[in-house]
Amino acid sequence: MIEKLSNNDLVILLLAISTMLILARIVSELGKKLKLPMVMGELLVGICLGPTLLGKIYPQAYEYLFPLKTNSHVALALDGIFSLSVIMLLFVAGMEVQLSIVLRQGKTAITTGLGSMIIPFFTGFGIAWYFPDLFGMEMDEHHRLVFSLFLGTALSISALPVIARILMDLNLFKTNFGMIVIASAMFNDLVGWLFFSFILSMSGQTSNHLSVGYTIMYIILFGAFMLFIGRRIIDRALPWIQTKLSWPGGVLAMSLGLCLLCAAFTQSINIHAILGAFIAGIAIGDSVQLREQARDIIHQFVTNFFAPLFFVSIGLEVNFIDNFDLKIVLIILVLAYVGKVIGATGGAMLGGLKKRNALAVAFGLSARGAMEIILGRLALDANLITQPIFVALVIMAFVTSLTSGPLIRRFVEVEK
Amino acid sequence: MDYNKLKRRASYPFETIGVAVAFSPRLEAILGEAKVLSESFGAQLLLMHIGERTRSKEAKLDEAFRKLGIDEKKTKVIWHEGNPVTTLLELCKLNIVDLLVVGAMQKENMLRYYLGSVARKISRKAKCSVLLLSQPKREGTRFKKIVVNGVENPKTIHTINTSVYFGKHLNSKQITVATETEQPVLAMSMTSESTAGEASKMRKEFTEEELNKVHDIVINVSEREGIEIAEKIIKGKPGFAIRQYAETKKSDLLVINSPDLKYGIIDRIFTHDMEYILEDLPCNVLMVHSRIS
Repeated sequence: MIEKLSNNDLVILLLAISTMLILARIVSELGKKLKLPMVMGELLVGICLGPTLLGKIYPQAYEYLFPLKTNSHVALALDGIFSLSVIMLLFVAGMEVQLSIVLRQGKTAITTGLGSMIIPFFTGFGIAWYFPDLFGMEMDEHHRLVFSLFLGTALSISALPVIARILMDLNLFKTNFGMIVIASAMFNDLVGWLFFSFILSMSGQTSNHLSVGYTIMYIILFGAFMLFIGRRIIDRALPWIQTKLSWPGGVLAMSLGLCLLCAAFTQSINIHAILGAFIAGIAIGDSVQLREQARDIIHQFVTNFFAPLFFVSIGLEVNFIDNFDLKIVLIILVLAYVGKVIGATGGAMLGGLKKRNALAVAFGLSARGAMEIILGRLALDANLITQPIFVALVIMAFVTSLTSGPLIRRFVEVEK
Repeated sequence: MDYNKLKRRASYPFETIGVAVAFSPRLEAILGEAKVLSESFGAQLLLMHIGERTRSKEAKLDEAFRKLGIDEKKTKVIWHEGNPVTTLLELCKLNIVDLLVVGAMQKENMLRYYLGSVARKISRKAKCSVLLLSQPKREGTRFKKIVVNGVENPKTIHTINTSVYFGKHLNSKQITVATETEQPVLAMSMTSESTAGEASKMRKEFTEEELNKVHDIVINVSEREGIEIAEKIIKGKPGFAIRQYAETKKSDLLVINSPDLKYGIIDRIFTHDMEYILEDLPCNVLMVHSRIS
């Protein structure tokens, strides 16, 4: 017999979602007044509603509202919503990766992008591989490899939306400097998420293992199909969708539908669903036919509904006080700055930038923001990392995002 | 050959106009256009054919000269064998060609486009200005409406000046300097962090900034008397937006800067900037090589 949500389950589910959405919006708006990123408010609400605070001072209320361990129906429904949220977040992240911008910036974007990935990657990988004890991890060789690959990747990505916002606030967005930072961050995102999907499929979380070779082949084939052929089909279909179908329902339904279809495909071949969503995002977002208004609507829908649910959910499941480990936090913070600054500065100088501007680019790219939190959460769900490491990654994401703007301002020398 | 003569040579006046002769069914139309251009600019005509010199080809050329009234004495014809693109470009350098006229299909089939047709390859590599004629006419095209890409680039002022020179000699009525504005990542970074008012203010500021930039360029255009220059901001991806604009406005000529980058097959697969125009020519295209580094 198929089990359904009972009346009481549905009430709890709706209460949980509405509480998360309303409180996240209120706290984020308050945080905005203090120039704090919205995601910080959303995470704070999660921490307050989760085991860190509400679970400690009023456990009955916490267990009633978020019965993640006591009511399997509600827990399953929430898990479905949170999974959908992360898929949607990766879809909009992909929509902002525009290959044309990377190609236009040419050598500087490529050398900066490569430098800002290779050095942090090997720094993270090396430390995790040779000193896993530093992170309190006990594991066999395969898991040590996967963990090391993950830490390297986690340290090499950047947060495109945060960087764009910082550049806008500093009035650097439309400058050549700004475009180099944006193009390099896009490059980081593209390579970082492709590689992370590969690591997730390696992590052994699925029952049906694929060999590494097959996984890489599937990722390349899927990416190539979507970006070469899929993109052409989307380019042809979008004008029709945007003019012949109801506006904006048509483009919204078709875009999100394609995102979920691609996500389902990659999940079915044991690569994580996020890869499908991310690539679908690139294919749609890079289309010349996608109207700005349509792009805005998709972003509004995802960032104002799914993003708060996802970021609040993090605090619901992780106790940030119990899992705070100063040593791990400091190690990850140092690694995050050292690798990124050395790599990106070197890459930017190789691409022709002067030292001060190269440093400013590096500090711009050091902002990890929400992308790091999404990456960390997926790794936590896949048992790649422990909760203390996840907490350290979240703290690193905030510290790097908050310091990025002032550090760019300190070093940048450009004509606006 | 002293190639230094080419360096820093101004993009206009056009003293030597080269023509790529392919003996296609459009031969007479291309030669007709070349004749009108050379007469309008008072330029010497240089016809270049890369391929075997045969009697039938010579006869065809003589016939075309006779029909079109081209003065053979004032026209230099070069026959040369070799790779069409590199040989043609080498001949242009050798003869200090200021403008190379090439016939081009409006749209190539996909395989041919990716592999690269002669006309497209020339456009990407030429060290002189190139006029791609997608619909050449025997009697010469009337370039009434000209659209110029006003992209923020040191070359642009030279390109606009060349367009004005071109337009004046061919009795154009209007030149529109259109600047494309693209705001990548703006949607994502503003949707959750900004109010509707803030977002719209920011977009408005960006547009005004672009308009001021194009105005600053246009204000420095020399010898603009007798021709109307309009300024326009168009939203969209660089290359694609201006292609669409030129198409919608039924322009006779789209003028763009010569490429800054070396365009290769990867730029055709992940189409961007100039490749959007070469992929599907919206009208005749003039690519101005301002010869500044």
